[in-house]
Amino acid sequence: MASETIRLERRRRLFGGREGAQKRFVTAVMSPAIVFMAIFMVLPIVWALALSFFDFSPRRTGSPILGLGGDNPFVGLEHYRQMTDFSSDATLNVRQFHIGVKVTLLFAFIVVPVNLLITLPLAAMIESVHDRARPIFRTIFFLPVLASSVGVAIMWGFILHPQNGLLNLMISKMTGKTTVISWLGDPDLVYFGVPVALLMVIAAYLWMDIGYNMVIFIAALQAIPRSVTDAARVDGASAWQIFRHITLPLLRPTILLASILTMISAFQVFDLFQVMTEGRPDDQTLAMSLNIYRSAFRYQQMGWAAAMSVVLFLIVFVISLVQARLLRTKWEY
Amino acid sequence: MKPNVFRSIRSMRWVLVVASTMLLASACTFGEGDDGGNGDGGAGGSVELTIWAHRSPSFNQAIRDAARAYEEDHPGTVITLETFAYDEYIQTLQTALPAGNAPDILHLFGTWACTYTDFLRPVPEEMISLADAQERFFPGPLGGYTCDDTLYGLPQESNVEYGAILVNTQMAGEAGTGTDGWATWDELIADAQDLTVIQDGAMIRAGYHFTAFDGLAHSFLSLILQAGGSYLNEDGTAFTLNTPEGAQALTLLKSMADAPVIDPVLFNDEENWVGDCYFTELCAMGLVGPWAVADYAPDYPEVAENTVYAKLPPLEDSEEFVADSGWGMTVSTDSPNAEVAWDFAAFATLDAEAATQFNLTSGTLPALVENAEGAARDELISAFPHFETWFEVLPNARFVGQLPDRDKLYYEIIYNHGLAALRGDETIEQALQAMETEANETFG
Repeated sequence: MASETIRLERRRRLFGGREGAQKRFVTAVMSPAIVFMAIFMVLPIVWALALSFFDFSPRRTGSPILGLGGDNPFVGLEHYRQMTDFSSDATLNVRQFHIGVKVTLLFAFIVVPVNLLITLPLAAMIESVHDRARPIFRTIFFLPVLASSVGVAIMWGFILHPQNGLLNLMISKMTGKTTVISWLGDPDLVYFGVPVALLMVIAAYLWMDIGYNMVIFIAALQAIPRSVTDAARVDGASAWQIFRHITLPLLRPTILLASILTMISAFQVFDLFQVMTEGRPDDQTLAMSLNIYRSAFRYQQMGWAAAMSVVLFLIVFVISLVQARLLRTKWEY
Repeated sequence: MKPNVFRSIRSMRWVLVVASTMLLASACTFGEGDDGGNGDGGAGGSVELTIWAHRSPSFNQAIRDAARAYEEDHPGTVITLETFAYDEYIQTLQTALPAGNAPDILHLFGTWACTYTDFLRPVPEEMISLADAQERFFPGPLGGYTCDDTLYGLPQESNVEYGAILVNTQMAGEAGTGTDGWATWDELIADAQDLTVIQDGAMIRAGYHFTAFDGLAHSFLSLILQAGGSYLNEDGTAFTLNTPEGAQALTLLKSMADAPVIDPVLFNDEENWVGDCYFTELCAMGLVGPWAVADYAPDYPEVAENTVYAKLPPLEDSEEFVADSGWGMTVSTDSPNAEVAWDFAAFATLDAEAATQFNLTSGTLPALVENAEGAARDELISAFPHFETWFEVLPNARFVGQLPDRDKLYYEIIYNHGLAALRGDETIEQALQAMETEANETFG
């Protein structure tokens, strides 16, 4: 009996008993995910950060240690220092970086509010229609989300083509005059400081993206307890008052989520810019993601591209934090 | 329960540490593995060669044909072609070369070759010397593979984008304009004006489209040469674009936008690219290389039927023009069978018959001087009648030079400021000044 107790005690010490088994289970279950994240998420981030301190180009061999050093020299914070050069003598790379930041911020800060302004009322409207019609509307508005973004960009390119595009054709029919407007290529087409080419990319992005937020809002609307709105209605609140003072505040966490997700994805949009405009006319649509891609893979300036990607990461991080703070809520329903 | 889970997570830090260390260790093998590649496999044993190339049905077939022909003469040698989409190919090169994972042979665009010399083997002197190569190849294509007087590969084609232009003979016939070339730029501009169609103030057909990336850059640089100038200083260490010759070149190009025979807002590289524009009949004439006809003919047979190439007029009596290099064979430093790889590369590029077959299958102009003459020339012209004009202009092609960043110069600098000048958004002086400053930044 005593020996059996000692054996069990030894085994418990050796394997840590129930607690040890739990640890081993958690380790086994989580290891693949952690290794996956380490390889495909953490390492690239660390690598990009390291590259940003080097004048690195894959065309040069550099030192044997990861190709860093040698012909790919360490430049410290030089890339970041150059980014703060706002003089007229700044290099083309630096000026394009500044343009990229401006275009990206403009794009994101137009896309996010417009997206929310469209999707929230749309979701509320769809929720208010008859049960049988609801899935039809949901499907119609969600369909563009399923489309390939490159396909969407090509389709919008056809619509906006100067000579053969649908938009100019419609204007020509309406005005009775041959209309040949280069929506994506005329640098002089600027409204309220926003280039029309950028507005066209925004239109294509919204067309493709609104279904996603709409589904999120529909789910949130369905989660609001009926009793709350019923009570308001009994108290004499109008439909607008219910939406303004009950639905909207209760949707605040969802609005926060949707705005952060939209903001992050807006900062990362690449394919629409690449296919629709390639950054033109006159770099008016040169978003940061496109600029990073071009610097890294077309012009082989990996170090500079890495520094820009670090800045993009910081911008998204800070804006997400600010958004989370502004829209945070302390209560649940 | 929860605290246990968190303790467990903390205890798993080792997983991250081990994974990171393994990855770091494996990554540290970058750049290693060059064993000299003396090709011991070539001494009678079986040798397997791998070629990487960009995906293009005609080019790939031409390479495969050369490989099969070589294999027949060299039993025991097996050559495998692996292809990549164009953009993917560039990115694969950028990662595979520094990582030491390149194949034996790289089918490279000559203009890129000198940027990869760290990873390419020089052409063996006993195979062909630089002096001999300069006699056998046109200077345009060979120039791309010549880096600091060392040859790093051999071209299979001449890639020219200037010297002759597409002309729609049906439109020209209707407008009564020429299709045989022009003696002066004034004559060309006058014909292009007659071919331009403007409706309600909007250009719906361009007379002459030259405002794509390559077209604009090659026009500008070629006209500088023809005006007697040079876009590089003597030792090739700085650009000299803001010169009287540069001004003459850009002024001539702007005069075509002012005429107007082109609207640079509606016709450029992104919208109505010259090939699309010409074959959809939105342009009557267009500046693009001879490959365009072969590329578009299957989809637009009627337009191709009504197409000829006409020689561009000279400026100041000079017909010299700039050209990129062409696609050709290079051998990577990673190749363990470099001798055999070079032997195949020599067969594909220096053997006149094999080289002609490559040009016939890929629809390209020859890089070998001897293949632009005699029976080889006749064979190519009978297969591609529109080559005739190009054979006339080919000797005038001069390699654009070892530029620090050719793509940036063409796509970001000359194109952007050239279009801005043509639109009138920048003066000629402003455009030239900006071009020169930005171009010189590419020297680093």
